[in-house]
Order: sequence, then structure tokens, then C-alpha cells
Amino acid sequence: MISSALPSTSVLTTGTSADASGTDPQLVLADDLLALLRTTTTETRPDEQLEALALAVAADLPVLLWGEPGIGKTAALTQLAASLDLPLTTVIASVHEPTDFSGLPIVGDDPATQGVPMAPPQWAVDLVRAGRGLLFLDELSTATPAVQAALLRVVLERRVGALQLPPGVRIVAAANPRASAADGWELSPPLANRFVHLYWVHDRDTVVRGLGGVWPRARLPRLVPERLPEAVAYARRAVCGFLQARPTLIHRLPSTETRRGGAWPSPRSWEAALTLLAFGTAASVSREVLASLVRGAVGDGPGLELLAHLDRMDLPDPESLLADPASAELPMRGDLRQATLEAVVAAVGARPQRERWEAGWMVLVRALETGAADLLVAPARVLASLRRDDWEVPESVERLAGVIDLARRADRSVLRATGAAGAARTAGVGR
Amino acid sequence: MTRTSKFPTARPAPPRRAQATVPARPTGSGEPYGQPGLPLDLEKLLAARLHAVEVRPYLASALFALHVVEDRSVPTMAVDPHWRCYVSPGFVARTPVEELAGVWVHEVSHLLRDHHGRGEQYAKEHGKNGPGERLRRNIAADFEINDDIYGDGLPRPAGAVLPSMLRLPDGMLMEEYLRTTSLSGLTPDLAWLDCGSGADGQDRPWELGPDGAHGLSRQQRDAVRFRVAEGIKGRPGDAPEGWRRWADEAFHPPQPWRQLLGAAVRSAAGAPGAGEDHSYRRPSRRAAAVPGVLLPSLRRRPPRVCVVIDTSGSVSDAELGGALLEVAAISRAVGGRRDLVSVISCDAAAGIAVPLCRAENLELIGGGGTDLRSGFTRALRSRPRPDVIVALTDGQTPWPAQPPPCRTVVGLFPRPASAVNEDNPDYTPDHPPHWARVVTIS
Repeated sequence: MISSALPSTSVLTTGTSADASGTDPQLVLADDLLALLRTTTTETRPDEQLEALALAVAADLPVLLWGEPGIGKTAALTQLAASLDLPLTTVIASVHEPTDFSGLPIVGDDPATQGVPMAPPQWAVDLVRAGRGLLFLDELSTATPAVQAALLRVVLERRVGALQLPPGVRIVAAANPRASAADGWELSPPLANRFVHLYWVHDRDTVVRGLGGVWPRARLPRLVPERLPEAVAYARRAVCGFLQARPTLIHRLPSTETRRGGAWPSPRSWEAALTLLAFGTAASVSREVLASLVRGAVGDGPGLELLAHLDRMDLPDPESLLADPASAELPMRGDLRQATLEAVVAAVGARPQRERWEAGWMVLVRALETGAADLLVAPARVLASLRRDDWEVPESVERLAGVIDLARRADRSVLRATGAAGAARTAGVGR
Repeated sequence: MTRTSKFPTARPAPPRRAQATVPARPTGSGEPYGQPGLPLDLEKLLAARLHAVEVRPYLASALFALHVVEDRSVPTMAVDPHWRCYVSPGFVARTPVEELAGVWVHEVSHLLRDHHGRGEQYAKEHGKNGPGERLRRNIAADFEINDDIYGDGLPRPAGAVLPSMLRLPDGMLMEEYLRTTSLSGLTPDLAWLDCGSGADGQDRPWELGPDGAHGLSRQQRDAVRFRVAEGIKGRPGDAPEGWRRWADEAFHPPQPWRQLLGAAVRSAAGAPGAGEDHSYRRPSRRAAAVPGVLLPSLRRRPPRVCVVIDTSGSVSDAELGGALLEVAAISRAVGGRRDLVSVISCDAAAGIAVPLCRAENLELIGGGGTDLRSGFTRALRSRPRPDVIVALTDGQTPWPAQPPPCRTVVGLFPRPASAVNEDNPDYTPDHPPHWARVVTIS
């Protein structure tokens, strides 16, 4: 619960007594005051961006936090490391040289036969010794291109020089967006592709509560053991089905100037999206969290398209609706409902049989009973056009008479509007 | 076989009226508009939505995603950011169907164009909040919508506000309308105007709020907007110019060109081989730690930037001056010295490279047509060779066939596509080549 480390010298009960080492009592008091200030607690509070961060860290994918300076990225990570009980190692990328990440050459006794090993820096050795931890690469966007190139191996292969970071080490980086970092470099596309990009904004309530001493608690998502196989199957079905339909999105380098430095789709980042989808499903996180993660992995456009694909996957299966039209459960949202009805009509059109055609009408009647009538006009027109000569119009269609009236009324209105358009323009309608 | 035997359960309760609304809210709030007790003519409202879908098919999924809420305290029709549409029964009763269709499209446009988010952003940036400001934002948002959505089967509803009422030009954004005028000339007789928090980001008493029924979450809203934008981009012939521009920018808002140009020049000047590289001319300061090993040191060579300026008649002095100052500032920021930035003015023939330090009152010579190829040739001939060439042009020029042996950044002044060469109407300027990083300066 207590997050930041208390200064070891500070004991709240010692009061003012000057100790033997001759420390000024006022300084001791100052330490006490600081210790009090730094004592904060956490509380469980829904926080989408923290949840997304925790999920990506759990899924062992490198995360890149974009945010204005001073917005609390470091504080959030400190909280996360404390709640996950992982030691936090912060490395400011911009003040290092490439050799700090690729290793420093050390000359041994006989370089010709033994070679020159590349020695890792101390922070990496400490991380390996601990076996687990959170490696935080700060100020990534102000690191020079040469340092960024050296970081590629650290981020993806987890190698620092000759040293392999243990699997228990998670990597999080932070960068300032180009708009606020006047002297920043943009991220090279290969490095950007290795990260899940999350945009960090401050939430007024979180900041106010936090300054009051209570920060939101970062927790690892609760994975449900029974759901694991199902989650993997769902994620694979979603991503593979989507990429089969949109093969051009498998690999697309950022082309325009505005999209450089951000997430972009490639087989690597699709794999990350698949992992995140499986983790999100197994942990039952909200669509919002999933959306920010998927968009952060493959970019806004492809991410949104994948999410739209998920929406369509969640729609009721047209065949099962046709099999049992009387108890059909249709989505409440108008646009999804219309998409469902269109899918039903398309399914009838794909295999036109009298029973299926009549079941299609039943689904439409069911939709009329439970929702807005205007959604039915287009599907009803298509379904009516599928009729064969020897098929009788089922009785249930009479109930759709109101829909036909509605369509006629709209048609008349369109006619009036197009007919009146010329006259209205000359008269100067609308003041 | 009879029909009934096929569907034994096919006789449910008698048909009910279609119900898309949640019941009217119990909080009776004065009912200042419309007659009390007048029922909402849902059929008329839905016929109007069908009309709107018919004439604006690319907005169909957005229109259908709106959830209708009957409310007597709304003046006309209003939306909230959660895609609920509040409707006054009295307004529906007294408005013709075809005008209601226009109102549908108007309200959904507020949501598609994210006026609530942009309005809040504007209020945050300018520190302005209050009832008067709300009205100003609503009017500015209405201006942005009303100047291009009507016509073509969609009559403009009576009372729609237009930029021309304040003698403002059409086609501007909400933020621009807010900046340009006080909008105060309109307010007295428009105080009733209210498109809800979906238009300006401020909550209304009648709204159900984020936790109310049938609201769309942020991700769902994005999904609807995205689908509409993709639909417009997929069939660009169907949608007018304003909607196509919206679709292009809905999820990739244009960034300020200064930052883009800065980032492009910086990364060109900082790329390996240009501004900075490993060098053995001086030992690394770390070499002392590893005796016997010669480590290269990372040396910065200040990048030389050559700016080729299109001085043909089609680029204005103000545009060029701003862009040139920007390039100079950026090259200073990446460690370049002022004397390492040189400028070549170029129309059909290139001038000589003038170092910027001697060009305090740089006179850009030229006029007439453009051929930037001569400018590139001249820049590459100058010694020492530049690391980066920045071309500032309106793009009405032929480009070098081969990529030059240094990084190239093109600052492009956008020109409307209709600007055709009058001598040769078939002439269309080439796009900037793919090897150059292109930043549109507007």
C-alpha cells in the first residue's frame, strides 16, 4: 500500500534530538516532513489508461507512453512497479551513448583467440541478477538516431551487449510528442513498430486525488483460467479473418509525414495485436481498453478496422436467426441492427429457398416489434425482390404494411424536396 | 403443407407500434416549448430519417446509430456526445418531413465532426466558458455545418444560421469562425438556438449523461465515425467536397506544418552520414577505460542545409518568408550555424547560392515559370556539398528524375487542384517524388 520508499534515516518518533553524527536537527525534521509527504496510498479506481498499461505489461509487450512533459508518466510507472512488486530501473535513453546499449568492448588476455567481449552496463547486470523488473527507458524521443538503433536489440531481443535480459523483465518507454519536444528526434519506423503506443493524458480527478495522497492502484488484469483457450481461439479467428479480408493491411510502412514515429501495421505488430486481444478477452477488459491497445499496436486506421470487424463478429449469426426467427435476439443499436438484418437478407439471397425466405420475413417482423421501423425499409425491399413466382406472400408480411407506408412517406418527401429545390433557391429560403 | 404448420410459434402478440424511444423522462421541466401532452409523431420523424438516408446514403450508419429520446424541454432537436438525439414533439408536429430530414443530417453532423470535443478543447485553450460562449460555439459549429450540407434533395430548414448572415465566407472551420468575429450581431434573436452538448460540449439539464441508457461508448462512437469516413473514402464520387475533406482528416487531423517541417529537417540532418557519425579522427573519451582498444568517438558535424526556393509568380512573398525563417530556425536548433544555411532562388533558372548570414535582406529574384531541376543541380554543385536540400515550392514544377545524393525535404504550398495552366489545359504538375519527405505548408 505504501508506495514510495521511506528515507531509511528518518524515524518519525525521533523528534528533534541531534544525534551523535552531528546532523542538524532541522535537517532531520525536514527528512521527516518529506517522508510524510511521500507517504501515499492507493485505491482501486477504474482508470482505463492504467488498465491498458498493466495489460500490455502483463502480456510482456514493450509499451511506449506518449505524453507531455510533467504529466505523470514516471509517477504512473512508479506506482505500477510498486503494485506489481517489480524493481524499477530507469534509464534515460537520451544521455547514453550507443555503446551503453550495445555493450562496451573489454580487452581480455588474448583478444585474437578469445575475442573482445562486449560488456554490459551496470544497470543491465543488476537487472539480470534480480531476475525480474521493470526497465523504464525514459526520454526515448530525444535519443539520437544512433542510440535508437542500438535500442532496437534491447527492446526486441532483450539483449544488452552480450547479456540476455531474463524473461521476467518488462520494458516500458516514454517519449514526448513531437509537438511539445522542440529538440526531439522522431522515432525510426523499426523502433516504433516494436512498441505498443499508449497516449498518456492527465485526468483531473486522478491528479487531484493523487496530490491528496491517494493514487489509483495499478493491478495486473485478472485472467480467468477457464477462458484461456477460448480467448486464444477468438483472437486468432478475429485477426486471421480480418487480415484475410484486408491483406493490404498486413504490412504498410507509414507514408505520410503526420504518421511517422507512431504505430504501423506489420506482421510483428499484428502478432502484438493478437496477443493483446487474447489477453484482453481472457481478462474481460472493456472495449475501450482493448481499443486503445489495438490501435496502439497497429495504428489508428488498421486498429479501428479490426475493431469494426470485431463488432461484426459479435453480431448474431444470420443462419441461427433464420433457424429460429421467433425468438431472434437483435442488437439494440440501430446501425448494428440494420447490419444484422442486411446479413439475414443476404443469407437468404445466397441460398434462396421458400422456407428461408419466409423465415427472413419473420425476422423482419420480429425487428419491427422490438425497434425502429425505418431500419427495415432497405432489407424488406431486397427480401421482396427475392420472391419467386410460386411463393405466396406470408401473412406476417401484412404486419410490415406500416413500414411500406413509412417508405412511401419518405419517398414523397424526397420528391417534394428535389422538386422544390429549384424554386426554393430562387426564393431564398432560410432567411 | 400450410404456412401455419411450418411456423407453429408464428403467432405472437398482436403487432405493437414500433418503439425506438425510451419513455419520456419523468422529470417535468416546465415544458416551455410545444403543447403539453402532444404525443411524438415517431412515424414522421422516422420517415424524415429515411429521407435523409435516401439522399445521403453515406451517412446511413451514423443516422441509424442515433438513439431517439422524446423530451419536451428541448427547443427543437438536440444531440449529446453519447449519440442520443433529444426530440421535441411540438417541433416534429410543426415541421415538414423534408425539413426534419435536414435537421437529422445537421444534428448527426455535429457528432461526426466531433464538435463537442473540439468545443471543449477551444474553451480550454481560450479559457472561455459560460452561457454566452456556449451559444457562440453552437453558432460557429452550425456555420461549419450549414454552409455545405444542404441542397441536393435536402432543403435547408427555416431558421438555419449561415455564415453569410455575418458576411463571413463559407467553408471555414468552427474554430476559425470563433476566432474571426464576435458573432454578437446574431445572438439576440438566436438565444433559443440549442443543439445540445453534442454541439458545444456543455451538459444540458435534459440529458441522460454518460451512464444513461442507450449511450455509445467512446470506442463505439469512434467505430461509427470511422465507418462513415471509410464509406465516403471508398466511394468518393457520392459525397461533396466538404464531407470528403472531413473523411480524410477525421482520424488524422492535420498537424501544424512548422513541427512537421522541423521534424523532417531534423531527421534528415541527423540521419547517419549527414550531421553526425562515428569518427576515428579523435579518440573516444571512453577510450581511457579500455586500454589497447581504439574506440571511435561520436562527432557532430554541423549539417549544411541548402534551401531551394521557388520564386515563380505563384508563390507569395509572405509564404516564402515564413517558411524560410522556419528553416533557418530549425537548422540552428540541430546545431547548424547560420553560415551553413544557404539559399538559392530558382524560377526557370537557378540563382547562385547565397549564405543566409549575408542574406539579412535577402532579395528573392524571379517570377515567371518554375523548373526546380536547375535549383537542385545548382545546390549539388556548391562546395562543400549540402547534407540536406529543402525545397520550398508550390509543386507546379518538374522534378529531378534521379534522387539527389543527399536528403531532400519538400515544403509544399498547397494549391487548389483547379489551378490549371491556361496555355496548356492538359498539363498537370507531377507529385513530389517519393524519395523526398513532403510537408504541406498551409
